[in-house]
Amino acid sequence: MQIIKVRKLFQRTLFGVFALFGFIGISTSFLLIDTVNSYLSEEYVTNSQGIAQTIADSSVDILLNRDLSSLQSLIDQFVEVQGISYVYIRDETGEFLAHTFVPGIPEQILNSDPTDTSTVERQLPGMGEFVEVSRPILAGVAGAVHVGMDTGMIALQVQRAIGRQVYLISIVFVLGVVAAIWLVNLAARPIGEVLTYAVALARGDENEVESVEGVLGRKDEAGQLARLFAHFSRGHASASSSDGAA
Amino acid sequence: MGMFTRRSLIGGSMAGGLIWPWPQTSAETAVAGVTDSEIILGMSAAFSGPSRGLGIELYRGAWAYFEHVNRAGGISGRRIALKLYDDGYQPDASVNNTMQLMLEDQVFLLFGYVGTPTVTRVLPILKKFQDQDVFLFFPFTGAQPQREPPYGEFAFNLRASYAQETAGLVENFVQIGRRRIGVFYQADAYGRSGWAGVRAALAGHGERIAGEATYRRGTPFTATMRGQVELLQAAEPDAVICIGAYAACAAFARDAVDLGLRVPIANLSFVGSESMLGLLSEGREAAEAEQYTNLLVNSQVVPSYHDTSIPAVREYREFMERYNPDMPAELVTEAYTPFDYSFVSLEGFLDAKIMVEILRRLGDEPARANLERAVMSMQDFELGLGEPVTFAEDRRQGLQQVYYTVVDDGRFVTLTDWAEKFS
Repeated sequence: MQIIKVRKLFQRTLFGVFALFGFIGISTSFLLIDTVNSYLSEEYVTNSQGIAQTIADSSVDILLNRDLSSLQSLIDQFVEVQGISYVYIRDETGEFLAHTFVPGIPEQILNSDPTDTSTVERQLPGMGEFVEVSRPILAGVAGAVHVGMDTGMIALQVQRAIGRQVYLISIVFVLGVVAAIWLVNLAARPIGEVLTYAVALARGDENEVESVEGVLGRKDEAGQLARLFAHFSRGHASASSSDGAA
Repeated sequence: MGMFTRRSLIGGSMAGGLIWPWPQTSAETAVAGVTDSEIILGMSAAFSGPSRGLGIELYRGAWAYFEHVNRAGGISGRRIALKLYDDGYQPDASVNNTMQLMLEDQVFLLFGYVGTPTVTRVLPILKKFQDQDVFLFFPFTGAQPQREPPYGEFAFNLRASYAQETAGLVENFVQIGRRRIGVFYQADAYGRSGWAGVRAALAGHGERIAGEATYRRGTPFTATMRGQVELLQAAEPDAVICIGAYAACAAFARDAVDLGLRVPIANLSFVGSESMLGLLSEGREAAEAEQYTNLLVNSQVVPSYHDTSIPAVREYREFMERYNPDMPAELVTEAYTPFDYSFVSLEGFLDAKIMVEILRRLGDEPARANLERAVMSMQDFELGLGEPVTFAEDRRQGLQQVYYTVVDDGRFVTLTDWAEKFS
């Protein structure tokens, strides 16, 4: 006789496990997206501030020597850093002493406040969206360095990092669900064996009972339950035979 | 063949190198870069890419003179050899080539580098290894960093500076009433050097740069310069000074004419006038080509090679014709037709001529440590230009004169009357 499969008893449990995994997966993903996004964005801004500070520190002597070609050479090297889209240096009067724009300095930057060294977001027509950080040179008396980062580039890096995390979480979720199904089936099997044994007893077919009485040898609760059923069954049978004899 | 094996490292920062002619092995070298039979000079220049014409012509002009000296027995019995590398006019490649020349090849000195963005990146290396007395001689750039502290002491220049060229251009434009000057420049150290020169010169006249536009280094002639022309058109300039290489400057001149910006367009000596003229004239009838070239005015740091009244020019033409130097075939992998004569090769020729004189002054036992003294001994040396060459501690540039040329009958000739030409 085939072992009866237990389908309904763990349905809710299984659904609950799925829901729990789903909740953990989704909430972890959102938390990761937020964390990675803010961490990487901050990292880019911090790195750019570091670059701006480095240029500002290195520029002092060059500016004082009025050697603008060396200044240009200096900022050109930093535009090769990933994520840095433009660098420009304005003096204390607002004049642009060096920059990396082609074919020209965007209107929005031309018209910006030269003394403002706060971090600003810029949307430059034909170029894209940028976060611009600034650092003063000689406390601002010699001008300021401005470094623009492509937010599209930052977003791409963030998406890549998040994509990798979500990919990992998805794999863990699928593996968790598969493991949950396997564990539930493992837990349900003894109950199925007891149920099959009980059905065989109820049918009174000795051959059927014999084919599934292996469950009686189990040392767990399923075995106890099966032996209980067997005990009741034997009691019922002897009672029946006593009644017949009477 | 010892340590000087041929190289073909295309794709790396060091695009290639060769020795010309082949040198002796290092085992024979008593002093770095000097053997019993040769003095080895190192050169990193553009032999590939859109600016290859500059490196090729500078080399050809220099080699015409070196070849002449070598055939006459060399210097104290030593032939002059050039160890060449291609940097494609790219700073990183130039830095790597310099390290190779200084540390591996152990050349006697560096000679004939091409370009500001390349040279400005190399100068700190010379400072770093200053105890080895490696000097850079006669780079093909008029920028300030190799003329001023903190790196000026490691280089010697022959040509006039970009500051002198731009000051001369501005001065002449202002004198004929063209005070609104726009600047079209390469977005790098070279462009900035010229831009700063124009800015300073205009400030001397109480003016500011009327408008500016930039382009990226390596932009080919086929690229559009519409954006740059429109930016400058909006500034309504009386003249535009270009600080760039020939391909981009020719593209700008072409688009300026096509878009109706009809003002004088000036170029600095670095542009490579013949190459620029060739691009603007190629495939065009003479009358059509004239439309694109008749408003060009190019400053030069050497006189016109058509002016055979100048002894150095006669000598240059004679040697170029006699030796007709080949291009360094292993480095020049792109199509290029060398010019019989050019301003760039004339400059290379003059660089080589004075280099030979300095090497001669080192005597029979050349040593790097004596190089500076040999250079400083050059007082009123007659190069054949009519402008004596003098070096001193505070004068590390041999020539000061700037020449101006315009296109006439399909070639660059000396400009004599600005008012008549551009009135």
